[in-house]
Amino acid sequence: MTDTSTLARGGGRHSSSPGRGSNRRRPARAKGLPNWAVPYVLLIPGLLVIIGLLVYPLIQMAIMSFQKVGVAQVAGKKPATWVGVDNYTSIFESEIFWTALRNTVVFAAIAVPLTLILGTAVGVLLQKLGRKMSLVLIVGLMFAWAVPPVAQGAIWRWLADGERGIINWALNLLPDWLSNLLFGRSDWTGEPWLNDAWSIYMILILCVVWAGIPFVAVSVLAGLKGIPSELYEAARVDGSGAWRTFWKITFPLLKPVFAVLTVLSIIWDFKVFGQLVVLGGQTNREAFNLSMYAVAEAFKAPPKMGSGAAIAVVLTILLLIVTAAYIRQLFKQEEL
Amino acid sequence: MRISKITATTVTTAALALGLAACGGSEPAKPSEAPQAGGSSAAATPAGKQFAGKELTLWRLGDVNPAAKKYTDALTAAYTEQSGATVKVEWIPWPQVNDKFTAAAAGGAGPDVTEIGNDQVPLWQSQEALEPVTDIVSAGDQAQIPKNLMGLETIDGETYAVPWGGGSRAVLYRTDWFKELNLEVPKTWDELLAAAKKIQEAKGKDVDGFAFNGGSDANHLLGALAWTGGGEYAVKEGDNWVSKVTEPAFKAGFEQYTNLVTSGISSKSRLNQNTTDIRTRFANSKVGMYLTASWDIPGIEQDSKGKIKKDKLAFFPLPAKDGGEAASFFGGNDIAVWGNAKDKDLAKDFVKFATTKEWADRYALEGGLLPVYSDTLAKLAEDPDQAPFAKAFAKAKAFPADPNWTEANETKAVMQNAARQVIEGKATVDEALAAAKKEIETILNQS
Repeated sequence: MTDTSTLARGGGRHSSSPGRGSNRRRPARAKGLPNWAVPYVLLIPGLLVIIGLLVYPLIQMAIMSFQKVGVAQVAGKKPATWVGVDNYTSIFESEIFWTALRNTVVFAAIAVPLTLILGTAVGVLLQKLGRKMSLVLIVGLMFAWAVPPVAQGAIWRWLADGERGIINWALNLLPDWLSNLLFGRSDWTGEPWLNDAWSIYMILILCVVWAGIPFVAVSVLAGLKGIPSELYEAARVDGSGAWRTFWKITFPLLKPVFAVLTVLSIIWDFKVFGQLVVLGGQTNREAFNLSMYAVAEAFKAPPKMGSGAAIAVVLTILLLIVTAAYIRQLFKQEEL
Repeated sequence: MRISKITATTVTTAALALGLAACGGSEPAKPSEAPQAGGSSAAATPAGKQFAGKELTLWRLGDVNPAAKKYTDALTAAYTEQSGATVKVEWIPWPQVNDKFTAAAAGGAGPDVTEIGNDQVPLWQSQEALEPVTDIVSAGDQAQIPKNLMGLETIDGETYAVPWGGGSRAVLYRTDWFKELNLEVPKTWDELLAAAKKIQEAKGKDVDGFAFNGGSDANHLLGALAWTGGGEYAVKEGDNWVSKVTEPAFKAGFEQYTNLVTSGISSKSRLNQNTTDIRTRFANSKVGMYLTASWDIPGIEQDSKGKIKKDKLAFFPLPAKDGGEAASFFGGNDIAVWGNAKDKDLAKDFVKFATTKEWADRYALEGGLLPVYSDTLAKLAEDPDQAPFAKAFAKAKAFPADPNWTEANETKAVMQNAARQVIEGKATVDEALAAAKKEIETILNQS
């Protein structure tokens, strides 16, 4: 708000300057804004968009989480009533909330490191490869990257299908003795991967990691291109192996890249939704994550947008804590 | 008329829509046509009729199939003829109905008049999404519709939807498979299981002998099994709902239900399928028998690309454990005036027209439902094809009449979840039902 008034004042001065400008004899620049105000004025359009599309809905969501809001309230037929922390107590009492919370956290805890490790490995590989092979690999990565979340879900749903799926088909191709040795069984026909919460999440992890690798790999590659090759030459001369070179040169220099990638991955993996819907999480409430549970509460009949908002608030706070803790940790290390 | 046909098809496929919309677009350009606004009035609308030039949006529920489309086209054409208003038809598949209603009630694009499942009326009435139609059912033809068919529709003395057609469920089976395998129509539950096993042995492991329904409408099957022995989901005692799912009668039905999967008659990899999914698999010869109603037949003919015709399909009443007919879900489709209708008089007039004896009877008979007018129903019971439904209708039971039932039935899928836990061995039947009882009571008794 203060920013807008700055603009108004600046604008006002601008329009009134022709009158007084002549006797003041200031340089042309003075007709514009004072120096200190320029960055703020430039920020205004962005801030307005963020306030309108992010801050306002966030505040509304926080308010709704303390109200009873159903269809009648949204349609304006009844005023929303304040219910205090009732929405929160009702979700905390629900068993579904706790399984959803567990699913969300465990999923992110596994998927984020996996995406980063595999993505970095692919990024390093890309740099090592010759021109042709790296082009082939990049094109392949782009395809995986370009697949929209719902299509990713559909692809993996089909791969994991009990009767028509390639996963069961491939497992059946294993020699019986090997399959028995590894899994204690040899017949995989009709194995339902998408029934149980744990196996749904196993497929979901494969799906999300698979789709997340390209972004990490390409970002790491971009970072690697910026590291002067003299450093690597020096390391080679000193007899450093690949592993040691990675940890002593590549990793420290790419730390800012990893910081950004980690935060982004955490955010993405905490709110994964489309893939889970398609993989069958919607019909199996034991496989809900927090986003799915919020949607089910808020928009499935009868809609309870208050409890839905409460779940979303919990998810937001959780995400903020995790991200803040991670960033703090990162800067602490840098200071040392 | 032409336009309403076009609108109906646009909903089915976007690709098709493009082509047809192009045809529709060229239509008003005919030189003979008066240059009327929009093109929504392609059917000539002589002035002087009560609603001339107005437009009404009707939501029909379910898939577009030839029979339903033919009836809807005839109905809307006749209505246009009478009132001058054009009717725009949109088709909503059953599994999406509650989501679409939610969006419409919250202020999104909605219908003026909608078809609605009778068990959905209490919920949407409680959300203030329906307009009372008490005056329609108390006069004219509609006064002949038996009042006992309006139990779910009548709330605090007002009626919120007009019964349009009744639906009970029976078992659909392939007569050609039964003949081929020398199977008799099962008279008891055990005979049904034996027949299902035989079908699986002959037709392959991936065929469900009798399909387990664990999706959004799972309680149509579970309810039929549980009600037969005298079980109940919940009973209102005083002001509170008390769930009866832990009682022996319900438990027996629940065990019959989960046993369909644990015995291997229906595959474990399809625990979440609903009737629509099962119908698609049935059309692909992957299901031997399942519980449904005759409105599925046109869809099967279409999905199987004409391979499975009506003459290969027949119904028998779901048998009870010790013989005789099982109870059936008291289903029915109503037609209601949506609360946000642009022109309520027009919407009411249309509902009145569509539920006259002529059009309600045609709706039921052509759509494979049971007529709501008693004399037509009595006549229908003499027809051997329809007898299984008429018999089941006599034993039909409804779900707890509470606006929150939908939450237990679909959103939280309480019984589906209990069944999955038992099937996967995570809980015993008693544990699962005890948890379900507690949850059903919490949901139904919330304010």
